[in-house]
Amino acid sequence: MRKFLLFLPLYLLFCNLHGQNYKFGKVSKEELLEQQHPLEHEANAAVLFREHRTYYHINPQTGFSLVTEVHERVKIYTKDGFEWANKEISYFRNGNDQEKISGVKGVTYNLENGKIREDKLRKDGIFEEEVTDYKLKTTLAMPAVTEGSVIEYRYTLRSPFVTSIDIIPLQYTIPVNRLETRVSIPEFFGFKKHINPKSAVHFPIEESRRNETYRTGTRSSGTDYMVTTYSIEANEIPALKEENYIDYLHNYAAYLQWELEFTKFPNSPYKYFSQTWEEVATTIYKDGGYGKELDKTRFFEDDLDELLQGASTIEEKIARIYDFVKEKIKWDSYLGYRSINGIRTAYKEGEGNVGDINLVLVSMLRYAGINANPVLVSTRNNGIPVYPTRDGFNYVIAGVEAPNEVILLDATDLTAAPGELPKRASNWQGRIIRENGSSTWVNLMPQYQSEETIVMNLKLQENLMLQGKSMKILKGLQAKDHRDKYRSVDEEKYMETLHTNKGNIRITSLEKENEDLPGKEIKETYDFELENGVERINGKIYIKPLLFLAQKENPFKAAERTYPIFLKYPYVTTATVNIMIPEGYRVESIPENFASELNAGEGSFTFVASQSGNFLRIQSVVDFKNIVFNPRDYNALKGFFDFLIEKQTESIVISKI
Amino acid sequence: MKRFFFLSLYFIFLTYSFAQDMETINSKLLQHSDAVIRYEIVEIEVLSADKLRINTGRMVTVLNEEGESFIEAYDFYDDHSKIKKQSAVIYDSRGKEIKKFKKKDFQDRSAVGSGTLISDDRLKYMEYTARDYPYTVVYESEVEKRSTAFIRSWYPVSGYRVSVESSSYSLKNPAGIPLRFKEKNLDSLLVHRENSNLELNYRIENVPAYKKERLSPDFKTFAPQVLVALNRFSLAGVEGEAANWKEFGKWQYEHLLKDKTVLSPEIISRVQALTADAADDLEKARLIYGYVQENTRYISVQLGIGGWEPMSAREVDKVKYGDCKGLTNYTKALLESQGISSHYAVVYGGKSIEDIDPEFASMQGNHVILNIPAEEGDLWLECTSQTDPFNYLGGFTDNRNVLLVKPEGGEIVKTRAYSVEENLQESVSRIYLDTNGAFEAEVVRKSYGVPYGNIYPIARETSQNQELYYKNNWYHLKDLDFEQISFDNDRTRQVFTENLSFKGNRMTSRAGDRILLPLNFIYPYTFNLPLAGERNHPLEISRGRSFEDTFEFFLPAGYAPESIPEGYTLKSDFGNFELTVNLKKKEEVVYIEVKRTYWLNEGCWPAGAFEGFRKFMNRVNSYSNQKAVLVAI
Repeated sequence: MRKFLLFLPLYLLFCNLHGQNYKFGKVSKEELLEQQHPLEHEANAAVLFREHRTYYHINPQTGFSLVTEVHERVKIYTKDGFEWANKEISYFRNGNDQEKISGVKGVTYNLENGKIREDKLRKDGIFEEEVTDYKLKTTLAMPAVTEGSVIEYRYTLRSPFVTSIDIIPLQYTIPVNRLETRVSIPEFFGFKKHINPKSAVHFPIEESRRNETYRTGTRSSGTDYMVTTYSIEANEIPALKEENYIDYLHNYAAYLQWELEFTKFPNSPYKYFSQTWEEVATTIYKDGGYGKELDKTRFFEDDLDELLQGASTIEEKIARIYDFVKEKIKWDSYLGYRSINGIRTAYKEGEGNVGDINLVLVSMLRYAGINANPVLVSTRNNGIPVYPTRDGFNYVIAGVEAPNEVILLDATDLTAAPGELPKRASNWQGRIIRENGSSTWVNLMPQYQSEETIVMNLKLQENLMLQGKSMKILKGLQAKDHRDKYRSVDEEKYMETLHTNKGNIRITSLEKENEDLPGKEIKETYDFELENGVERINGKIYIKPLLFLAQKENPFKAAERTYPIFLKYPYVTTATVNIMIPEGYRVESIPENFASELNAGEGSFTFVASQSGNFLRIQSVVDFKNIVFNPRDYNALKGFFDFLIEKQTESIVISKI
Repeated sequence: MKRFFFLSLYFIFLTYSFAQDMETINSKLLQHSDAVIRYEIVEIEVLSADKLRINTGRMVTVLNEEGESFIEAYDFYDDHSKIKKQSAVIYDSRGKEIKKFKKKDFQDRSAVGSGTLISDDRLKYMEYTARDYPYTVVYESEVEKRSTAFIRSWYPVSGYRVSVESSSYSLKNPAGIPLRFKEKNLDSLLVHRENSNLELNYRIENVPAYKKERLSPDFKTFAPQVLVALNRFSLAGVEGEAANWKEFGKWQYEHLLKDKTVLSPEIISRVQALTADAADDLEKARLIYGYVQENTRYISVQLGIGGWEPMSAREVDKVKYGDCKGLTNYTKALLESQGISSHYAVVYGGKSIEDIDPEFASMQGNHVILNIPAEEGDLWLECTSQTDPFNYLGGFTDNRNVLLVKPEGGEIVKTRAYSVEENLQESVSRIYLDTNGAFEAEVVRKSYGVPYGNIYPIARETSQNQELYYKNNWYHLKDLDFEQISFDNDRTRQVFTENLSFKGNRMTSRAGDRILLPLNFIYPYTFNLPLAGERNHPLEISRGRSFEDTFEFFLPAGYAPESIPEGYTLKSDFGNFELTVNLKKKEEVVYIEVKRTYWLNEGCWPAGAFEGFRKFMNRVNSYSNQKAVLVAI
C-alpha cells in the first residue's frame, strides 16, 4: 500500500506529460485553464506542441519538390505574449522558382463558461506580402486571442529548392513542451544532419529506413528507392535566454541543420558536394571564380604601375594598394564571398559588394608580387557554422601571408588599417585559400592590444575650480572606434559630445591629430576648467582624481550568466593624473595602491597614487589580454569591475594649513 | 503637353547651371549642414477632384554620410497611386555625371513601418553607394494619385542640418476646385508668392540649415510650410466635400464611421449583463473599457480604405483584434449599446506634443482615441492598450488638439493636460548603514500622472529584468541584491507603488578615520547639459515633473555625525528645489533625514534662458550630491 501511494504522484506526472492529445483540434480544458508555465513561471507564452515534417514529393511531370508541414500549438499566458499570436512565415522566390504556402488552417481556443469555444482563422486574417523581389511573407493574425488562449495553426510550404533543407528550429525564446520533428529524405539526396554543439540542450535523433516505389505513368513496374527518416521527440525544452556581451544569440540555440553531401538521381552518376573545409574552400575557389577573377589584371595594370612607382618595401606597397582600392571601389552594403558584378565592372563603376572589392584587392596585391590570398569569413550575424558548408561563409577579405603572421585586409571598411577588421568580419576564424588550391584556418579575432593612454594635468585653484590639460592617445582598434563614431561629426557637434557627462566643464583649445588617417594613432589635446569638480566638506577638500575618466558603472549587472562573455578587443587603458595643490594646503590622505588580476593575467588592474610635496600623481591601468571569458569566470569578472570602480572613484583629501 | 515641354527645359537648364556651379555654394549654406537642397521644384496639378499629378525635381548635394537621408530619391505608391516616371542622375563634386538611374533601376519594396503588421503601401527607391563626398543627386519623378484628400504640402526645409538654395512649389488647379491653404512659419523668410484661385506659387532661396539643439521645440513647430487642401476630394475611392473642420468631421463620420457600430444581439446582451449592476454611466463605461482590454489585442493592419476607416465593430467582435481605429470604434459601439455617447477622436500620438491644426481642416493625425463627454470633465480612453487604466492618457496623447468626429460635424478640443503637481513621484527610503559601507534599504515610491504610465509596465517584466532595471537606473548603488520587489498598481486612482528592499555595498567611503556618506540616495531627474555655444532655439520643457523624496539614513552603531550639509532652497522660473537635512531620533536611534522637494516647470523660454537653465540643473545636481561626515564616538 505504502509503495503504491508513493507511486501515485509519479504516475500522475506521467499522465500529465504524455496524456495530451496533440492532434489538431484536440485542445484540452487543462491546457486552457493553465495560468502559468509549470516550469518557467514568467514565460509570456509557450509552445505546447510543435510538429515539423519535411519530406520529398515526386511528381512524374515536374520532378522533386521539398515539402515542409508545420503544426504548432501555442499557449498565451499574458498580454505580453500576444506577439506569439501573429505568426510570420518567411519564404523565398528566385526568378520563376518560388516557394508556396498552402493548407493554412488556424484555430483559437478559449474557455467560455466552462466550455471550449473555437474561433477559426479566416481568409481575412491571412496576409500575404512581397517584402522584396526575393523575400515573401505570410502573416497569420489569429482571431479572438486573450490571456489564456491556446492557438493552433498548420501550414505546408512547398519548395522547388530541393537541394537545400532550411534550418529546423528546436528552441525558441519561449519554452517548448513537446517537439516532434521528422525529416524524410530519399536516397537521391545525401544529407548529413548537424545539431548545434554550442547549444545547452541536446536531443537523441532516431533513424529508420523504408522502401518506397516510384512509378512513371501507367506502367505497373516502378523503381524502388530507400527513404531515411530522422526523428526527434523531445519534451520540456527551456526558453532561449538573452544576455548582453555575446557574439550572436543564435550561436547558442538548439537547431537542426542539413548539409547536402551528394545527389544520386536514377541514371545519373553521383554528384558530390563539399564535405571537408578543404573541399569547401576548393569548391568556392572554383565556383566563386577565384581562379578566373583573380587572374584578371589587365584592366588595372596601368593604374597600378603608376601607383606603385617608388614604393620599395612590401609594407609600402600593401598600404598604397589598400588605400587605392578603398578609394576606388565603394561598398554597396551587400555581403558575399563572390564577386557579384565581376571585378572589372566593379573597378570601372567604382561600386561593388564585399566579393568585388576584396577580390580586386587580392588580385592587385598579387600583381605587385605580394603573397596575398582570399580569406573566407562568416560574419557575426551569419553565426558559426556547425559543419563544413559553403553557406558557412558569406564574406571574403584579403590575407597577406608574411613569415610570422597573416595581415588581414578588408577594403570595404574605410576606417580600417592593414590588420584591422570591422566588427562584422571579426568572427570566429577564416579560411585562407592559396593559389595552389590549398587552404588553412586563420584567426580573425583581434590578437593585439589596442591602447588608450590619457594624461591629465590638474591644477586646483584657490576658488576650488579645477584647471586642466588633457592629452589622449588612441592606438589600434581604439583609434578605429573613434574614427567610426565621429567620422561624420563636425567640430561643433564633437565639442558638444566632448562636454557631455563631464559635469560643469568648459573645454577650450581642442586639437586633434591623425583623425582621418587609419592606422595612425589619434592624439587629442584640450584645456578645461571644471566647476564643482571637488567637494568641500567640513573644511576639508575631497578630490576624485580621475574625475570623468573614472568608470562609473559595472557593465555586468545580472546575477547569473549562461553564455560566454565577449569583450570587443584586447586593450590597455592607462590614465595618469598629475595634480598640483595650491600653496597653503596640505594633503591629508591619498588612496592606497591596489592591484588585481583576473585568470592569471588575462585581465589586470593596477592603481598607484604617490605624493611629492604639492604634487600628486595617480595612475590607473586596466589591461585585458583576452576577450572571451567562460561563463564560469563571470563572477570574477564582475568583481574585478566592482573593485576597479571603487578604486577609481576614491578621494584625495586635502585641507588648509 | 505644353506644360511638360516647358518643365523639361526648366530642369535641363537648372541641372546644367547648378552642376557647373557646384563649388560655388554660398558658404552660409554649408554651416551646420550635412546636405544642401540645391533646388526642389514641386509641381502639383489637380486634374479633377479624384486625380492629381505631382512632378518633383530635386537636386541635393550631399556633404557627408549623414546627409544621405536628405536625397529622398523615392516615392510611395499603392492601389490608388502610380509612379509614372522616376529617374535620377548622380554627379561627382566636379559636376561630372557618374551614374544614371532609369525607372526600372529603382528598387521596389513594401513600406511597412515599425509597429505595423500589414500594409499595402509600397515604395520605389534609389539604391546608391556614395563613392566620395560631396556628390549631387538629381531626382525627377511623376506620380499620379486618385486620392486627393492629402495634398502634398510645401515643406521646403526637410529637417535639421539641411540648407536650401532654392525651393519652389506650385499648385495648378485648372478645374477651379475650391481650395484652401495655410502658411506657417514663413514670416522670417523672404518668400516669393503668387497666388490666385487657380494657382499657388511659392519660392524661397538661401535658407541656412537649422542647428539641432537640446530641449528645443519640435522641428515641425517652427519649420516653414504651406498646407493645402481641396474642398472637394477623394480618399481611396470615397468622395468628399468639406471646407472646415465641422464639414470635414461630418464627412468623415458619414463615410468612414457611420453604420460601423452595429453589433450582434449576442454581444449586446453580454454587455448588458456585464453592466447590469453598474450604478451609473461612468461605472458602465469603466466596465466596458475593461471588457475591451480583456478581450482584444492590437494589430496594425492598413489595407486600402482600411488605412482610413475602422474595421466594423461586428468584425472586431469576431476576430477580437484591430488597430487604433477598429478598437476605438468597437469600444464606442459597446458604449453606444448601453446608451453612452462617445466620440472618435483623431490625434497625433507621440511623446512630443503635436496638435491637429484647429484652423486648417485636412487629413491629419496618426492615431485615434475615444472621448466620452462628461459634466465633470471629458473622459479619454486609449483603446489600443490592454493595460492602461480607465481614463488614462499619459505622455502619448496628453495636452494636445484633437479632432472629435461627431455625427453633426467635426470639433477641435484639447485632451487633458497633466500639471506639474499631477506628474508626481514621491519616495520614502530607509537606509541602514554598516561601518564597512554595506547597507540595507527599504524604498517605497509612488508615481502619478505621466510618470505612472512610464513605470507601471515594469510589473509585467520578468524578475530578472526588474532587477536589471533598478541596477541600471541606480547604478551608483553598488552590488544590489534584492530581497523584495513588489508592486501595487492602483488602476482606479492611477497610482503605482514600488515596494523594494535590497542590500548593497560601498555606499560610504573612508577618508582617514572618517566615513563619508553621500546623501543622494536616488539621483534627481536632471538633464546633462553641455555648455552651449550660440543658441538659436527657445528652451522648451513640454511636461512638468515634481518629486518629493525622503531619505532616512540610520547610522552604524558607534558612529555619530561630525557634520551634515546645510539645507538649500532654490527658486527659479524653471522650477523650485528645496533640500533640508536634519538629525532625528527614532527609538533612541539617530538618523539623518534628507528631504528633497523638486519641481521642474513646463514652459517655453527664449534661447537666452538656456544658460540659466543649465546652471539650475547643475545646482540641483551639486546640492543633491552633498555628503555627511561620520566619526566613531
